[in-house]
Amino acid sequence: MFTHARWAAGLALIAALAAGCGTGAGLYGSGAKPTATAHSAAPKPAVTHHHHARSAHATVTTRPASPAPSVTAPAANPIPQGNGGDQDADNNGGPSDGDGNI
Amino acid sequence: MITHTARRGRLILTAITATAAIVVTVAAFTVSGRSPGHAFPQLHPAAGPANWRHLTLPNGTAVLSYPPSLRPISGDKVAVSAARLTPHGAFQLYLNATPRQGSEQLAHWPAFRLHLLQADTAAAARQIASAQGVKFRGGTGSCVIDRYVTRIGGHHFQEIACLVVGRTSASVIVAAAPTAAWTQARPLLLQAVAAYLIR
Repeated sequence: MFTHARWAAGLALIAALAAGCGTGAGLYGSGAKPTATAHSAAPKPAVTHHHHARSAHATVTTRPASPAPSVTAPAANPIPQGNGGDQDADNNGGPSDGDGNI
Repeated sequence: MITHTARRGRLILTAITATAAIVVTVAAFTVSGRSPGHAFPQLHPAAGPANWRHLTLPNGTAVLSYPPSLRPISGDKVAVSAARLTPHGAFQLYLNATPRQGSEQLAHWPAFRLHLLQADTAAAARQIASAQGVKFRGGTGSCVIDRYVTRIGGHHFQEIACLVVGRTSASVIVAAAPTAAWTQARPLLLQAVAAYLIR
């Protein structure tokens, strides 16, 4: 019985380690030329999804930032939220537009 | 004793089989560099259907096409937007085109977009997929699919955002929908992105 328990524990450990490695796999497919990063650009909390149970998308882990070395960060003084800035939708909780935050 | 040995043998065989299956699966994803559900979709640049409408950027450098179920909405003076809203004003579909305004570059567009979201409107943002060398009508683009949560209202959106460079100009097209509705919205949004025309 003890032997069985050890085997079961060992198997569970291997599975857990393998699953952990799996989450680090690339997130890209065919479609032009995929780039090399696949994680949040900053160490913010992971996005939580309440709406559906697609586990591949919902199980998000936060990883330390490792932005591309030559990326120029957007302006440090973001447009104020709460109908700030140009009063467009993305300053009021709507989807973000394509401006360069200038 | 014989029974015990046989059971132990079966257990060992099961463990080996399970471990091998896990290793093969992980290796397959690692080698191929892709994960089911996170592949960047192929875009096939083409004009929208005949009944689609068009919004030209004020500077005349690009044309945003959108289906008739959307309506133009106001936004930045240099940009054009169209959206489908619920009766309560919530966004169901959103399209926007804006001339390049900052230091956006094709090579770094996905990281730039994620930085921008988090510096500006989003409490959190996460990249889903990206692609370089995407063909557009009149140009080439770099695209990212991401999810974010707005600081105001905590709304969850998913978007495809592309920096598109044409012969004489560069601009950004954004196609977004609530995360919960992304699966349904995705085909129409991708069609709108594929119909984007840049000069």
